[in-house]
Amino acid sequence: MSGIVVRGVSKSFKGRRVLDDISFIVPPDSLCVLCGPPHAGKSVLLRLLVGLETPDAGALLLDGLPLERIEPGDRPIGYVPQSFALFPHLSVFDNIAYPLRMQRAAPGEITRRVDEAATLLRITRLLAKLPSQLSGGEKQRVAIARGMLKRARAFVLDDPLVGLDFKLREALMDELKDLRAVLGATFLYATSDSLEALAMADRLLVLDAGRLVADGDADAVYHAPPHLRAAELIGFPRCNVLPGRREGGACVTSLGTLPVPESGAGDALSVAVRPEQIMLLPPGMQPVRGLGGVARVGLIENLGAESVVYLDVPGLRLVAVPANDAIAGLEVGQEVSFAIPSAELAMFDTATGRPAAGGASR
Amino acid sequence: MTLRTHLYHALLWLVALLFFAPVAWIVLSSFKTATQILSVPPVLLFRPTLANYERVLSNPHILWGFLNSLLLSCSAVVIAVAVSFLAAFSFSRFKPRGTAFLMFLLLSIRMLPGSAAILPIYLMYVGLGWKDSYAGVILFYAMFSIPFSVWILKGFIDGVSVRFDETGLVNGAGWFRVIARLIFPQVMPGVIAALIFNFIFVWNEFLFNYIIGGPRTANIPVALATGLYSGGGVDWTFVSVVTTLYIIPPILVVFLFQRFLLVGMTFGTVRGEV
Repeated sequence: MSGIVVRGVSKSFKGRRVLDDISFIVPPDSLCVLCGPPHAGKSVLLRLLVGLETPDAGALLLDGLPLERIEPGDRPIGYVPQSFALFPHLSVFDNIAYPLRMQRAAPGEITRRVDEAATLLRITRLLAKLPSQLSGGEKQRVAIARGMLKRARAFVLDDPLVGLDFKLREALMDELKDLRAVLGATFLYATSDSLEALAMADRLLVLDAGRLVADGDADAVYHAPPHLRAAELIGFPRCNVLPGRREGGACVTSLGTLPVPESGAGDALSVAVRPEQIMLLPPGMQPVRGLGGVARVGLIENLGAESVVYLDVPGLRLVAVPANDAIAGLEVGQEVSFAIPSAELAMFDTATGRPAAGGASR
Repeated sequence: MTLRTHLYHALLWLVALLFFAPVAWIVLSSFKTATQILSVPPVLLFRPTLANYERVLSNPHILWGFLNSLLLSCSAVVIAVAVSFLAAFSFSRFKPRGTAFLMFLLLSIRMLPGSAAILPIYLMYVGLGWKDSYAGVILFYAMFSIPFSVWILKGFIDGVSVRFDETGLVNGAGWFRVIARLIFPQVMPGVIAALIFNFIFVWNEFLFNYIIGGPRTANIPVALATGLYSGGGVDWTFVSVVTTLYIIPPILVVFLFQRFLLVGMTFGTVRGEV
């Protein structure tokens, strides 16, 4: 099997389990994003792959090659650490050239490949400087360039864009995707930002508290989340979670009743409602079927292209991104009717987080 | 500048001159005759003479003492800093069980006054036949310099993020390369500080050289003490000349190395750490 294969990997630190039986595959020549909240175990997983930690159980393979017995320096995996860790006593050129120097590349090759990487990341004018003379974004690019220069078949990037300003992040996201295509290598990219994850991923892995809660095509993970936590973690504004309980063949919530097929799931259910699934209705109109009701507008955030509307219903605050024409003249404090078409809603067993029903199959 | 800052600077100068006065006195004395040195009030305007230097430098014991001082200080300090650097790296990175206790033990020898440690060490050196041997005296000074150096260097190495080690290891550097090429250059100020500190300690050490050394390995403080009295009194011209020459190497060492004592070069090169 080629690409990165992670099979049944667990890791504990001082009795605390940080990775619990993780298995996934990153197909060769693809960009796979590992997304999860801070402390979910993303960095540990990447550190296991590059060899800075050893797994307690399970196997790690790259293109069929078991990695455990290979020293970190000999693994054909490049690494962009979350910290820049640029060597302060070396120039930018020497920092970027470091992996090649360690692999005893010829001087000609070093110059050529450093120039290539520097051109791609637009840092050629910085090559003679020292890291302390660079801005945060520049340091980031240098760290990425250095991570990319190891002769490797796969690269792991640990949240390389965290803390950078928005414009820079957008630019670097594109550059990284281009870079991956140019290198023709396998990328495993960790981030805690779900928008970044959706924008970059060919394939999306969602890690939560050491467990893998989603693994699949980015679109599918978003539209048919395989786990309640995946629904909550992926997407912005954040997914609404509506508590409900099973009564016969129906799920009863405070906003209405949904049909739910019989399954092994428990009686406590959670309905995931994406903000864009909430429709505001013109005055006087009532929802016919599915969920809905009347809410008071709590807050309106104008983001330019869209607006985020917070709707207060008893015991719950819903986040919606209604169509622009639907919010014309909408004011805070006003009462408004809304509907949530039931066909596309995903339902989960609250206890296990596993799907109970629903979710659009696309 | 305000009057306040002027006054402040004047005060600083005064204090500095006060500290410098004994040094100035001894340096000036080395160019005076014996009667000029002892005259009251002190002679400030005089015709300098090099006769004292000619007399002292023709004394083979003194030249030998200088060579011994240089040899003992330089070799002891280099050994001590090399060993301390590796020890400090291990304490900092691998954190062996009981690191804090070991670090305390290491320093505990320096908590005793030298005169309390001298007897067992003397007996040991006599027993081993190391008395008045270069290797013995150098090892003793190295041993005595190591604890403090380990403490200084561990502090500096702790300040260098392990992310540098990891980046080196992932990219194919071995531990030796990581230590020598990635960490060592970043703790240069600490290494220089340890070098200077230990150099000055060994350079000025008298008691142990006097007891576990001997005629062969006597350094300048010992030569100074043993040559102090001659002709029924303190030989002030001898003292002033030897002292003047003796303070030159430490001054040179501090002067040459102070530019390496830069800190702050590494600021902000690891995200989230300074």
